[in-house]
Amino acid sequence: MRGNYKVNSGTRFRMLSDDQLEELLGGVLHLLEYTGLEVHHEESLEILKKAGAWVDGKRVRIPSYLVRKSLELAPRSFTIFSRDGNSENDIIIGPGRAHFGPGPTCPNFIDIESMDRRPYVKSDVPNVAKMVDALPNIDFCESLGTVDDVHHDLGALYEFAGMFPNTSKPIVAWSYDKDDSAGIHEIAIAEAGGQDAFEKRPNYVHYCEPLSPLISTGEALDKLIFAATNRIPLIFTPCPIAGGTAPVTAAGIITQGAAESWMGLVIAQAIQPGLPFFMGGVFSVMDMSAMILSYGAPELSLMMAGLTDLAHYVGLPLWQTGGCTDSKTFDEQAIIEGSLSVFFSALSGGDMTHDVGYTESAMTGSVFQLCAMDEAIGYSRRITHGIEVTEETLAVKVIDNVGPNGHYLREQHTRDHYKTEYWYPNLCNRRNYEEWEEDGKKTMKDRTVARVHEILATHKPTPIKPETEEVIKKVLAEAEERVKED
Amino acid sequence: MSDIYERLATGILEGEAEKITKLVNRGLKKGLSAKELLDNGLIVGMDEVGVRFKRGDMFVPEVLMSADSMAAGMTILRPILIESGAEMLGKIVMGTVKGDLHDIGKNLVSMMCEGAGFEIVNLGFNVDPETFIEAIKEHQPAIVGMSAMLTTTMRAMGHTIKALEEAGLRDQVKVMVGGAPVDKEFSDAIGSDGYGSNAPSGAELAKQLVSAA
Repeated sequence: MRGNYKVNSGTRFRMLSDDQLEELLGGVLHLLEYTGLEVHHEESLEILKKAGAWVDGKRVRIPSYLVRKSLELAPRSFTIFSRDGNSENDIIIGPGRAHFGPGPTCPNFIDIESMDRRPYVKSDVPNVAKMVDALPNIDFCESLGTVDDVHHDLGALYEFAGMFPNTSKPIVAWSYDKDDSAGIHEIAIAEAGGQDAFEKRPNYVHYCEPLSPLISTGEALDKLIFAATNRIPLIFTPCPIAGGTAPVTAAGIITQGAAESWMGLVIAQAIQPGLPFFMGGVFSVMDMSAMILSYGAPELSLMMAGLTDLAHYVGLPLWQTGGCTDSKTFDEQAIIEGSLSVFFSALSGGDMTHDVGYTESAMTGSVFQLCAMDEAIGYSRRITHGIEVTEETLAVKVIDNVGPNGHYLREQHTRDHYKTEYWYPNLCNRRNYEEWEEDGKKTMKDRTVARVHEILATHKPTPIKPETEEVIKKVLAEAEERVKED
Repeated sequence: MSDIYERLATGILEGEAEKITKLVNRGLKKGLSAKELLDNGLIVGMDEVGVRFKRGDMFVPEVLMSADSMAAGMTILRPILIESGAEMLGKIVMGTVKGDLHDIGKNLVSMMCEGAGFEIVNLGFNVDPETFIEAIKEHQPAIVGMSAMLTTTMRAMGHTIKALEEAGLRDQVKVMVGGAPVDKEFSDAIGSDGYGSNAPSGAELAKQLVSAA
């Protein structure tokens, strides 16, 4: 045995130095303490005042000791559990672990048969969830769209009701308001076996968004309070746009966006000390020519990597962004932008990377993009898995045994390791020209489409409990009644 | 009886050479013929190996273990088969052509062909046309297999084929070629009977060449 032997067991990078991160942290604390944020929610203002914040009308300033205390209370490591007890689908949050999944709320969807762009509908939800369930490198589920063919207030509820039975991977649930959140929670705890059982093994994550610049809205805080009260792991994630709703510089947008997340952190930890909390966001640039928030810009990956560093510096997990594109279709641009941001997310170790499968700058969800990105994530994970250096992997004895002009294909060493040392592609083609020609000269797109169709035709997710099915029917019926009254 | 055939096929698939040796001996003791054991057991297993490899469900190190198991079975069965006058797949004279010192790829093809039931005469590397000619005269193979790794040495395959023609031996044997720079177009151009792009397809090709003959 060697003492004090240093091991880099995986490939990760940190972009910013401790000195730079201390500067960013100072900036965030300054904003929270001196500039303050607007909080449009009476109950939250009371909670903040009681916790020690300075409340002046809607403007709330938080002394730095209180922010630090809240950071201290939130855990860095915790687990989100699969609904069916399959531990392979659990998400273990902690240093050096990057997870991936789709995003929510695109108005459009790429039709699975025609591949045309059209509004996202209710029947798309189970298909997205099944894809998530089947793809080996997708870890959590969101729906990739806002359901268009139900009452518009009930889209989020129908989404959850459609996803939950079709994947046992944890869902990240968004909602319009706390009524939605309550319905979603009723379904989730039914499967978990009640509120107590849920608190011990939470099976989903609640997602809400503050508004940039520097505003916490009433709906966002309603949902945050619901989640914190019920001990649902929480994401509080702004979507600031550099040059539009945030400073144009990467350091500036990180500072402002972190302050927006941490307002939610302080409220959440005041209600429920120790609540798992993700800071996060989609931090990218406004394209000054196209006037869109770019989901394919290199600045997205850059800003998200800087934000990841800050989150980990203060001991919080990060809600990351990647696998998305500004491209309108399944083309080279979509694959370049998606793959590079996925690789960057994997390298930065951001804890949950969402928006995998977004196209057209988050306007259109695509399971084809999702399926292709599963391949890019697998590829990236092989690299971040790193190089293991042991006597066994050094293989000096094996090399000695084979000697000059021998070969390794018959060696036990090869047989022992070739499956774990290599990553094998599902979609990328490595066959020789003749075999590729014989197989019909299929492109990456052809193979991706075939895989999507095969998964949807054959994959069978673990079913939910019969009693949970009943709860879903009840929750939806009650919600339909509620909107009838309005 | 069907049980032993199934176990032979499974043993081949799983690459268990020792098990194959035991099963073949047990089968012979029970009075099964060498040909039955080969056709209903070993070859069934090897055929499935080919299918799985092509589908991407088996990988080269596993295929080699299967080939080794097949060879273990054949070591016992071949002398009996020859004695009984059964029709054999025949011999392959195999070598890396003149000027080329690359040995490994050609050895892999040899192993795979051995696994498919052929007997291999391995001439090694840097084999000049005269050595090929002498080996053909001596061993009377069904097939001559040539390999080259370099674009600079692949032309020697053409030269060797020409030498076979001049020696009046070209009609007696099938010629198959392979190696990294070789493709079907080149293979056709030099007048070879076939080209394999990798070791398992080389063995597949060898079977096709003898069944077509």
